[in-house]
Amino acid sequence: MSRKKKSKGLPPWLVGFLVLLIAAAAYYSLTKNAPDSSLRTVEELSPDLYYENANSLRGNTYKIDAVIDSSLGNSPTKGRLFSVAVKGSDKSGNSAVLPVLIPVSLGNLTIQKGQHYLMKVKVVENGLLQAEEAIKP
Amino acid sequence: MKTMRFFKLATWLLLSGFASAQIPNAETIHETGQQYKEGNPLTGASDNLAIGSQAMFEANLKAKKNIVDMKPNTFLSLWNNPGFAVQFEKFLSAPAETSDAARLYRKRIDRIMELLSPGNATKANQDEAFNLLPLASEFESDANNCTTIHDAIYAAANAKVEIQRLTEVDQELVKKLNTAQYNYRQSAKSLSLSGQPVSKEEQASYEKNATELRQATLDPSKDEVAALKQTIQKNQAQIATAELQSKFALQSLILQLFVQRRYQHVIITDRFYRALFDDGDQSLEGFQQMADKLGYNQAAGQVKLIADANPNGSAAAGGASGGAGAPGSGASAGAGSNGAGASVGNNNYYGNNNGGDATALSGSGVHLGIENLSVESLENAFVTGMKGASRTFKSLSQLDAFANEIIRDVNEGVKVYKFLLEKNELESASAQLAAVFTKGEYLPSVRLLTVDEKRKTLEYAQLCNRLVNAANSGNIDVLSDVVTHMKRLNPTFDDAEILAKLQGVKTASTLLVAQAKVAAAKGDLQSVQTEITRAAALWPNNPEVANFSTEMGKVSEAASPQVQAINDFDQLYGQKNFRRIFDEKEKYIAAIAQSPERQGKLREVLSRMQEIETSILRAQEISRRGDYAGAWEGLETTFAQYPDDLKLTQLRAEYSTQAPDLVRDLNAAKQAEEKKEYGSSLSWYLKAQSVYPMSDLSKSGISRVVKQIMPDAS
Repeated sequence: MSRKKKSKGLPPWLVGFLVLLIAAAAYYSLTKNAPDSSLRTVEELSPDLYYENANSLRGNTYKIDAVIDSSLGNSPTKGRLFSVAVKGSDKSGNSAVLPVLIPVSLGNLTIQKGQHYLMKVKVVENGLLQAEEAIKP
Repeated sequence: MKTMRFFKLATWLLLSGFASAQIPNAETIHETGQQYKEGNPLTGASDNLAIGSQAMFEANLKAKKNIVDMKPNTFLSLWNNPGFAVQFEKFLSAPAETSDAARLYRKRIDRIMELLSPGNATKANQDEAFNLLPLASEFESDANNCTTIHDAIYAAANAKVEIQRLTEVDQELVKKLNTAQYNYRQSAKSLSLSGQPVSKEEQASYEKNATELRQATLDPSKDEVAALKQTIQKNQAQIATAELQSKFALQSLILQLFVQRRYQHVIITDRFYRALFDDGDQSLEGFQQMADKLGYNQAAGQVKLIADANPNGSAAAGGASGGAGAPGSGASAGAGSNGAGASVGNNNYYGNNNGGDATALSGSGVHLGIENLSVESLENAFVTGMKGASRTFKSLSQLDAFANEIIRDVNEGVKVYKFLLEKNELESASAQLAAVFTKGEYLPSVRLLTVDEKRKTLEYAQLCNRLVNAANSGNIDVLSDVVTHMKRLNPTFDDAEILAKLQGVKTASTLLVAQAKVAAAKGDLQSVQTEITRAAALWPNNPEVANFSTEMGKVSEAASPQVQAINDFDQLYGQKNFRRIFDEKEKYIAAIAQSPERQGKLREVLSRMQEIETSILRAQEISRRGDYAGAWEGLETTFAQYPDDLKLTQLRAEYSTQAPDLVRDLNAAKQAEEKKEYGSSLSWYLKAQSVYPMSDLSKSGISRVVKQIMPDAS
């Protein structure tokens, strides 16, 4: 009687190493994307809802995925006002252009036309969207 | 419908003047009515004249006749004679004759009458009175009547002297005639030839010689007798003629003075006549014959008569021209074959001052001459007066007595007048004064009335004059005013009947206006014209007539195309219907050229419409390229400025359906902007801009809203 050749699996140390590697990667990933992790719980803004009655949304905070369209104005006291195209979010699927105020507190952000940002915005008085956070995705 | 009729009437009022040049004017209302029925338009002045004349005639019947002819009192009735009214007013305005000259005149007249009074008429007194006549004539109010009397008496006295001389001549001639006749008879008895004829043949020769001898001897005596007889007869005829002529001249003068109402002069002349002639009670018989033949010369003025009696009955003609006297009559004198005569030219009454040749009046052996023509009134009554006087008075005694009676009556009338005036019974006083003036205008008692004594009567007389004139004019407003004044001046004036008649006329006029209004409502132009003309003729100042005229004036103005255009403009402007004004701008530009206050409005309308039209044209051009959003935006901008234009509104609505997303987004943005929801508004504007990137409205909206959000934005 022939005797089967006994097969060889990954060595345990290797498996252990891989597990450690994956864990390290996960940790790194979570550590590196800390802000992103703060928008994760914020509700996304519905442009249609905003168009219909922006006033009723006052005080709420939303996140938007926006591309800078153009600068509308720059106030030394209030900040900078931009029009941004919120991606694919209206009923027809087209991007909706909305105004966003970048307050003076976010003055360190360098914003140019065409830049892509994830923003956390709040509906303030007069129904204006004011950015609280803005990160490049 | 009614408006159309008014317009028709107004059009007639405007065009009647033009139409009159084309269609023969009717002369009567009947003709006018016929023309109207035949379709001819009413024409102008002639129709109105005819209607007005008829209406005035009716007005005369209704107003003047009722008012003037009713003669509410005696005094008023006197004013129906304009000649009397003028003379009487002149008298009332004249001062009293209280001057020294007037006093001296009256003194001389009284002295003359005293010298000639029946108990005092001695030869010396007659001579003194005669010499006072020229002195009395110096006073102007005597009008040289005393000089005329003086001359007439002088002529009569001369005639008497001539008659006396002729009588004495005749007596001498009769003596000579008797002597001549005696001598003639003696000569005839002693006349014979010596010897006898010897044969038959010598007989004829003998008788022939005897006849020649008789003739040679008797003819001178015979001729002398015949000549004496002829001379005596001629003288007798001259005596008769001279006496008759002188008597007749004085009688004529007396009657003339009587007709002139110069009663004192009548008495003076009459007394001189009695001193010169002794005719008894048949003294005026000859004059009556003359007066019966007297012609009535309507054109002659007041004249003095001179008359010559001519027993031979020859006719005389005046050959000389009357000359350039005052307008009225010219007189001429001429000599006939057997006597003198005078004539009056009557062909120079109206502006022709040359009295032509005229024929002397003569008849029944009497020549009547007229001289000293005057323009005094009563000229037409003169002949009638002479005839009447000649029939009334058969002798100078009657005339003398009547003149004295009138003087007494006038003096008494003056006293009564003063009494009535004192009692403020003005109507009776005025009537009394008028009667006194009529009878004895030149008598001292009348002449001595002062202006103050006549003043009230003068005022009353002037009011009476105005009353008659107002009634004649048909202006019953003036008439009412005069009646009121009369009543105030003279409380006894009976104005009840006049006022009743006036009210009747006013009511009639107002009713005619009402009829005219009814006719106007029916479009009956003929009746309107007739009734309103009658109404105006009856009562020219009738306020209803004035109102009617005003209404008609408004209608006629409204009928004017120009006025109509202006009215339309005002109405359309008030309604903000600028589009209609713009569509008919040619009409309004022409009409408003004369109305500066509307020119600014019209300019504003045209400018605004020009802008709208340009906007529309531009939008249409853009839409042709398929850019409906751009077309709509262009109109929307203009619409915001002029939201009332219908055409703009319609086109804007049409284009809004072609670009619904843009319209919706912009409207939403605008609404949010108005609510001050600037965030929402900005988002809508941005959305609209994303739909139509060339949108000016979006751009401007964004800019505006950003400014609101960030006032200090750069």
